[in-house]
Amino acid sequence: MTSSEASVPAGAAKAASTASTRLFVRQTSGLVRDLGIPAATGISLASVAVVNTFINFNAGLTDFTKSDMYLPLLAAAVIWLVAMFAYRYLLRAVPRAGGEYVYLSRIVSPAAGSVAGLGIAVVFTYVLSTNAHFAAQFTPFMLSGLGSAFHSTALANAGNHLTSNIAIAWLSVVVMLIVAALSLFSVRIVARIIFWLIVLQVLAFVVLIGMLAANSHADFTSALATYSNHPGAFQAIINAARSNGVVFGTSIASAVAIIPFMVLNYNGVLYSYYVGGELRRPGRTYLYASTISIGVLVVLWVGVWALLRARVGLQFMQAQANLSVANPTAYGKITSLNSVAGGLGYGMILSSDPITKILFATAVPLAEIAVNLAFLTVTTRVLFAQAFDRLLPVGVAKIGDRNHAPNVAIAIVLVIGIGFCFLTSLVNLGSIVALQSLFFALILLAGGISATVLPLRRSDLIQTPGMAEDARRRWLRNVALVGGATTILALFTIYELATHSSVYGKFSWESILTLVIVLGAGPLIYLIARTVRRQRNALDLSMAMRELPPE
Amino acid sequence: MLRKKAGKQRALRIYFATDVHGSEVCFRKFLAAAKVYEADVIILGGDFAGKAIVPVLTQDGMLRAQVRGDDIAVPESDWDRLAGDLGKAGLYPVRMHAAELDRLTADPGALDRLFRTEISAQMQRWCDMAAERLDPAVRCIITPGNDDPVDADPVIAAHPRVECPELELCDLGPVTMASLGVVPTTPWNTERECTEDELAKQIDEMLDPLPSGMPCILNLHCPPYASGLDDAPELDETLKPVIRGGRPSIIPVGSTAVREAIRRHQPVVGLHGHIHESRAAQKIGRTLCVNPGSDYSSGVLRGAVIDIARDGSCLDFLLTTG
Repeated sequence: MTSSEASVPAGAAKAASTASTRLFVRQTSGLVRDLGIPAATGISLASVAVVNTFINFNAGLTDFTKSDMYLPLLAAAVIWLVAMFAYRYLLRAVPRAGGEYVYLSRIVSPAAGSVAGLGIAVVFTYVLSTNAHFAAQFTPFMLSGLGSAFHSTALANAGNHLTSNIAIAWLSVVVMLIVAALSLFSVRIVARIIFWLIVLQVLAFVVLIGMLAANSHADFTSALATYSNHPGAFQAIINAARSNGVVFGTSIASAVAIIPFMVLNYNGVLYSYYVGGELRRPGRTYLYASTISIGVLVVLWVGVWALLRARVGLQFMQAQANLSVANPTAYGKITSLNSVAGGLGYGMILSSDPITKILFATAVPLAEIAVNLAFLTVTTRVLFAQAFDRLLPVGVAKIGDRNHAPNVAIAIVLVIGIGFCFLTSLVNLGSIVALQSLFFALILLAGGISATVLPLRRSDLIQTPGMAEDARRRWLRNVALVGGATTILALFTIYELATHSSVYGKFSWESILTLVIVLGAGPLIYLIARTVRRQRNALDLSMAMRELPPE
Repeated sequence: MLRKKAGKQRALRIYFATDVHGSEVCFRKFLAAAKVYEADVIILGGDFAGKAIVPVLTQDGMLRAQVRGDDIAVPESDWDRLAGDLGKAGLYPVRMHAAELDRLTADPGALDRLFRTEISAQMQRWCDMAAERLDPAVRCIITPGNDDPVDADPVIAAHPRVECPELELCDLGPVTMASLGVVPTTPWNTERECTEDELAKQIDEMLDPLPSGMPCILNLHCPPYASGLDDAPELDETLKPVIRGGRPSIIPVGSTAVREAIRRHQPVVGLHGHIHESRAAQKIGRTLCVNPGSDYSSGVLRGAVIDIARDGSCLDFLLTTG
């Protein structure tokens, strides 16, 4: 319950706003002033790593021939728009923080929620390591950019020695250690660090847009030639790609197949539902904030893609991404420009001042650290929930007496995350992105299923008291339809990932092992914990998840 | 930690829930929990009172109200259904005419009296329901929290089936329980608040008669400071959540007096509530502190099952979601 007023004498009561609202709210603890659309939009946008789009552009360009991003970016936006309506109903039903784990617990069953919660904790730990991996992959680019900004060949050359799989694995570990060390500070300091890291990456993105808009295609080819010390670098890359079998152009089939990568792009855009309990008129505010956020991201990403096509050229981007993978030696002979960096790399060579070079060079590593700091908090909270459900030892949730931080949980996430760092460094970038897309599609699926069964399982949570029977049926049917549509779109995303062998279907033992660990962890830990507790004659775990009869 | 001690037998099973805030569904589930979890004692911690009244206007044979921003109009014959639906969510539906609505809007004192009447009436109904539904062998304890008006205490205390040992020691067999619903000062200036020093004094005075070495349970509504049981959104001076890094800033808001009391007295278990979103269990020294949290608005009852041995030690615990 929220109120728009505060501070009345002890025990007194008051009207929530005006008589027309016809709700009297008592002055009790927990009443807070509501967050409006600007705050909710800020939460949504801050939850999205805007520069990560270049990683996903690269994954799409590398893994599919004739790739273009317009359709995937727009289709993914539509998927999130549909999901937004499903989450609106979930928000109405469970207006508290928690996400899919809580929705499954409340709406499907506590047991399903608990098992899913464990899976999500492992998925998030994997995501921590993949984000660290992305940051590590950008380290050579970062060093090269910093070398250029500070006119240091030593820095620039250092990057060239950090491109092997094992070097990337160790760099990922360093990133994980940095994140773990930062997370030991108080929550307030961590939040401030996240805020400034987000500001820096958004600034880099905006400056890049300005730079691409201010330069011409000729400026780019000339800058590439200068950077590469190769007068015909632009055409040489296209020619080498052609001779290595790269096919240019666009195709609808490729565009459809890339949609899952772009779904990953928007992940976080609906996160204002995490503060659903504090939103003013939650359903309306959430819809506006999410729509504005999706709209802003569509404009930014479609805009930057259009600029990249106009200034750099689709043919060049396809050639560069594929040649650097198919024949890195041939690519290396023409230029040292990091192909994974995509737009940030193009911005770097167009840039003439050290400040923008530093911004572009550090954008992705800083964004990944920001995302990981936020994810570490979420992951440790999910671990807490499992510990309190006795699926994990209670010691996992122990709060440090000095720093009030969950030191044990952080250590566990760190150890598992480092293990994943080595696994992910052995898998190619496209597979990592694909696997991550799969996990988030599964989480979206959990949300879709929760919304679909909401009218069947917990209609009491969403229907308006006193509603006429006909209206009630129509209302519940609409909820189920929106939930069903979200479920279908999530399944479509999963299907696309599972059926494209060139990206995801090309199973290796590493990717299978990763998948088995991540998806099997929940049920496995549940079974082990339950068996161990039974042997010790402790309280039966199933009791924690038993639904109480309300009558 | 807290492994089932070899050779120790359970002498007492406690079910503890808190912060139901007027939710009829949660209270019914609370009563059902005695059977489902095979509890010997069920304890409802503080903040049982609801937070809002929905005025239902009677006009031309129709009942009109506004719920979740939607205008509702139903025939007067549907009153029971409407009242039942609203009660499930912890709202108090009150039938009135437009003149009465205007009067309540203009007169905070009258509105306050109406709240107190509704809360006491609901507590009377709940106590009667407990008498009707509970197995005679099960003890039912209800203690207040800072959001509960003092007017409701005598209603519980006078009821033969329900106990209200507020500011008292209560014998549970292998352990003794001490209960206190007062919390340190909050930004909302609620009914039962005091300074940390006063709270420490009240706890000490309550525990004074307890013989040294006697195992006890502290049922203190406010959780100990910085224990992980007290994490809540940080608010600015206008009571708006502070957003940092795109997320609400979370800070510890528990009581230092409670933490110090637990550290010094080392009860077997600390039962807490107050911070709905901070469902957790932590050890402070040898004491297991539990806050089952609250999700009353979803009609979900969060609770804790705690097994106590014959010697008063804690055998095991489980946080439940029902």
